[in-house]
Amino acid sequence: MRGMAGHALRIVLVVVLGGFAGAALARYAPGWGVDDEDLNSSLSAASHAALHASDANGSNPAAFYVDYWGRLLRGDLGTSVALHEPVSQLLKERVPETCKSVGAGLALAWTMGLGLALLSLLPVARFAAWGAWLLASLVLCLPAAVLALLCVYAHASGRLAIGLIVFPRVYQFTRNLLARSAALPHVLTARAKGAGECRILLRHVLPVAAPQILALGGVSVCMALAACVPVEALCDLPGIGQLAWRAALSRDLTLLVNLTMIMTVVTLAANSGMDLLGGLIGEGRG
Amino acid sequence: MNLRVRLAALLIPLAALSAFGQPGSQLRFCIRTDPKTLNPLMVIDDAGQTVRYLTGGVLLRLNRKTQQLEPALATAWKVSSNGRTITFTLRANVYFSDGTPFSAGDVAYTMERLMDPALHSPVGDSFRAGADKVRAQMLGKNKIAITFPAAIVGLDKLFDQVAILSATSPRKEMAALGPYYLSENKPGAYILLRRNPNYWKHDAAGRALPYIESIRLDIQQNREIEMLRLMRGEIQFINSLDADNYDVVKARAPEMAVDAGVGLDSEQIWFNQVASAPIAAYEKAWFTSTRFRQAISESINRADLARIVYRGHAQPAASWISPANKVWFDRHLPPYRYDPNGALALLEQEGFRLKNGRLRDRAGHVVEFSVMTNAGNRSRERMAAMIQQDLARIGVKLNVVTLDFPSLIERITRTFNYEACLLGFVNDDLDPDAQMTVWLSSAENHQWNPSQKTPATAWEAEIDRLMRLQASTLDVRKRKQAVDRVQEIVREQEPFIYLVNKEALAAVSPQVRNADPVALQPQVYWNIDTLWMGSGGGKR
Repeated sequence: MRGMAGHALRIVLVVVLGGFAGAALARYAPGWGVDDEDLNSSLSAASHAALHASDANGSNPAAFYVDYWGRLLRGDLGTSVALHEPVSQLLKERVPETCKSVGAGLALAWTMGLGLALLSLLPVARFAAWGAWLLASLVLCLPAAVLALLCVYAHASGRLAIGLIVFPRVYQFTRNLLARSAALPHVLTARAKGAGECRILLRHVLPVAAPQILALGGVSVCMALAACVPVEALCDLPGIGQLAWRAALSRDLTLLVNLTMIMTVVTLAANSGMDLLGGLIGEGRG
Repeated sequence: MNLRVRLAALLIPLAALSAFGQPGSQLRFCIRTDPKTLNPLMVIDDAGQTVRYLTGGVLLRLNRKTQQLEPALATAWKVSSNGRTITFTLRANVYFSDGTPFSAGDVAYTMERLMDPALHSPVGDSFRAGADKVRAQMLGKNKIAITFPAAIVGLDKLFDQVAILSATSPRKEMAALGPYYLSENKPGAYILLRRNPNYWKHDAAGRALPYIESIRLDIQQNREIEMLRLMRGEIQFINSLDADNYDVVKARAPEMAVDAGVGLDSEQIWFNQVASAPIAAYEKAWFTSTRFRQAISESINRADLARIVYRGHAQPAASWISPANKVWFDRHLPPYRYDPNGALALLEQEGFRLKNGRLRDRAGHVVEFSVMTNAGNRSRERMAAMIQQDLARIGVKLNVVTLDFPSLIERITRTFNYEACLLGFVNDDLDPDAQMTVWLSSAENHQWNPSQKTPATAWEAEIDRLMRLQASTLDVRKRKQAVDRVQEIVREQEPFIYLVNKEALAAVSPQVRNADPVALQPQVYWNIDTLWMGSGGGKR
């Protein structure tokens, strides 16, 4: 119970600090508070001034952030300057898309990664292990944006790109974890006693590696979420990754702070959740 | 009714429907960003202008092909001899998309909203001509006179931008008089427009226009993906193509490629002449020297820029007004010279010396400066690279810096922390009066030295005088003389070194019938109400 409270407190603290860091970075980024229309020759001086009337709102990031939290506690996430929509409305429309992308990407990455890692442990599948290593290395060499573009050109879903971005990390870590567990003395003993490969894998190898694999599960959620930004932007998926990209390009302070905090919450919650689960499994085995 | 008449009554509409691709025909194309606003009076950006063009009903419409005004919601109009009053006779029996009737009251209401100083309407800015209020006097249900506090040049043409709002509709500005109305808006994803069932216009055969049922505007920033979608048939046209993609279209689907000739936009380079700019004093001395600017201009090979960077789809520029502007371009201006030796001679007159392949000023400073342009614009990046090579021939070292657009705008409008800038200006207005805020020395958009309290140079004072003169007289001949003289001064002084005028390139699927792209915006869909969708290929 104390562990959970500690995790919750840590999440709140990091979210508050992360949000402020996001606000300060966006505010002091070059080009904050300027508008393409500053070059519009058809506007009068008064209209130019009116165009920037709202900039004063974010000029002091500390004051902006205090005001933001005041509104947030009343349930108001603010309004996007670039898209002229309440942030809550934008999130409502886009979070499901990102959840689907992250879910599908993770399912693909874990199915491929864990499946090939397990296969590579089997002595009869040495050729498959080489193939898996080659595929993981190849995909690892390609930047996320390139994978996304390849999906666009191949007319494939962007979710495939998310899966391919996460897959090599999952594969390499799980294969190493499983190989290390498989080399433990009690596994050798079991094998010497003539236990079958499946039984060894399920009873002796996987339980040992489970806490670390769960921790990797938390990290993979963060990786998939981070991959959503370039993939959704390039593959034209209307999720929060695409929203974050547009918010960054248009220096949309309110939207950026909200998205920074959401990404921080998801990252921390996923890691903490997996840590707790890993701890429970460890206690159960102990 | 006998059987033949009944059959004809049934078959004729069916034949018409099939011929024009109805019902359910949908036109799809991409816009770069979400419109900043859907209020037609507050439109400021390209995406907003697209939605306004497709949904807004205007009193007069500029025919983008002939460059002449045509009647729209007004069947006739007259500008008074003093240029202050315009009287419109309005079309009768016209209704907004929601069924609200259109009348002179709506025009009066629109003008009142447009000129509200608190609204800061960009369209309203072009009508501001004095401190007094604009008066709209209804001379009957279908006649109205609008009087401005002072004369406005090209008054009637400005109404091409004014979408008339309903004074009484509960849907406010969403009630449309144009060919389409806004049906759905999903920010960041798409905008769906549907055919206005009450649109006033009919074709020669009496059929209600427009022919196309709906238009879907997909928000797509990435031009490569836009190209891919065109090739796959997911969108039907690209309104503005760069030269590279135009050649790709021409190679893969020649029937789609359209070159509508030279456009109104210009590409130029300028030096920072702001007195308070945080750059070295000797550099400011270079940049404020007319001979230095002329020498840089003479050393740039514009023909090569047009041939290599734009693959022949551009023309070397000659003035701040494009040759596409049939009325205002000064045809007596000679083309820019490309003469590196002449450039060196000019620089020597100014005390510069070429030594060991490097140009040095009178005080021995090596001539080296940076030119910044917006990152991601391949044409500008290539132009900068070619200019770098051209300037190396006269011993000038040019460094190319690419910045994202907000950072670049911050530097040229706020911090003035730059040496030279390469950028293009989009021009969608034929009348040079629309560029007053570029040429007046006191204006914010006088990019090389903005917001001057008094003109820094005699030639800028002369430009101020001439631009004010052209804005205050209704005599077209006098206006033309003044604008021609401004073009000559700009050519002599080179505050902007004009490089090329791009051609208006587009790609249009053969599915889109009756398309006739032009150089003026909106190039492909200027005749949207008469476009129709056919199936498969064939002649456009």
